[in-house]
Amino acid sequence: MSELPVTDGTINETLSELVEKTEALTALLISRHGICLGQAGGGAKLNATALAALVAGMFSATKEVANIVGEEQFSILLQQGEKRHIHISLIGEKSMMVIVFEDYSRIGRVRFAAKKMGPKLIRLLTKDKKDQKDAIQDISIPDFKEYALNLIDRIFVIGEDDDATS
Amino acid sequence: MPHLDLNNKQLVFKIVYFGPGMSGKTTNLLFIHKKIFDKYKGDMIILDTEEERTLFFDFFPVSLGSVQGFSLKIHLYTIPGQVYYEASRKIILEGADGVVFVADSNVEKLEDNLDMYKRMMVNLDSFGVNLDTFPIVLQYNKRDFDEIIPLGEIERTLKLPEDLIVTESVATSGKGVMKTLQLISKEVIKNFQMD
Repeated sequence: MSELPVTDGTINETLSELVEKTEALTALLISRHGICLGQAGGGAKLNATALAALVAGMFSATKEVANIVGEEQFSILLQQGEKRHIHISLIGEKSMMVIVFEDYSRIGRVRFAAKKMGPKLIRLLTKDKKDQKDAIQDISIPDFKEYALNLIDRIFVIGEDDDATS
Repeated sequence: MPHLDLNNKQLVFKIVYFGPGMSGKTTNLLFIHKKIFDKYKGDMIILDTEEERTLFFDFFPVSLGSVQGFSLKIHLYTIPGQVYYEASRKIILEGADGVVFVADSNVEKLEDNLDMYKRMMVNLDSFGVNLDTFPIVLQYNKRDFDEIIPLGEIERTLKLPEDLIVTESVATSGKGVMKTLQLISKEVIKNFQMD
């Protein structure tokens, strides 16, 4: 499966701009539910699907930590490694931006760019929501369901030894 | 409601394996991951403790193929079953399009099953999902034990709907695992609507 989706959406363009300005390896926008909404920069060769699921979980867990210490949430998470570092910031209420970078002395630039791009990404996400409603009109739900059910039969194969009562 | 990603033209459904500690949720996912052809699946993430108890969640994505121009994906998650991980469970359950409740068939675990099922329903209710239509499959796992909870016991005690889908399984050998996955996936698709 492709782990680095390359598309031309404006969210991706915004992330590309951020990668260029900060010289980061990769920037991703992920939903609070752990789904990758956009990505730019392929320098880190990351498994974006797995990263999105893990970061969403991490951020949610941190929200619980924040509650325990009397904060509603922490809006920024910073993970410092030996060679690579991750800056995670909340984008609106339901998304997060993840920036992976190497030179730690660029942290100021990363923070500045993340803060500056935040409102633009929120606007794009709002637009995306409207576009989704339009796009969904193009999907024929009955046909979609029929085809999807066939795919499930084909891929989630029940073997002959699958009967637990035998 | 599934996640529609227009940038990457994909539609993602989330299925969560819920249940008490050590009921076989991770074992279900491991078997599924082994069984599905490589081209359809991504890497599996397992976050467990030294005692091999799930600490946060297990996860892997499945790509079913393209439907009407959209890449159709299912993300499979488990939750940590121990009682003290309530916050983690709630986080992972949020946004689920369907749930497999993995019950431990050991008669001594009946109360644990009932307690966890109630917790699950409370959490789902707090997310505002319609409990009458939300896809759930109840899987009685560990049917190879000597003294097992009779089928129907959990449903009767909790007064669950008569049309609730119930399966039997022995996840360690894979029996019933793919059937359960197929049933919940189909229920999730049948329940699909964008609003």
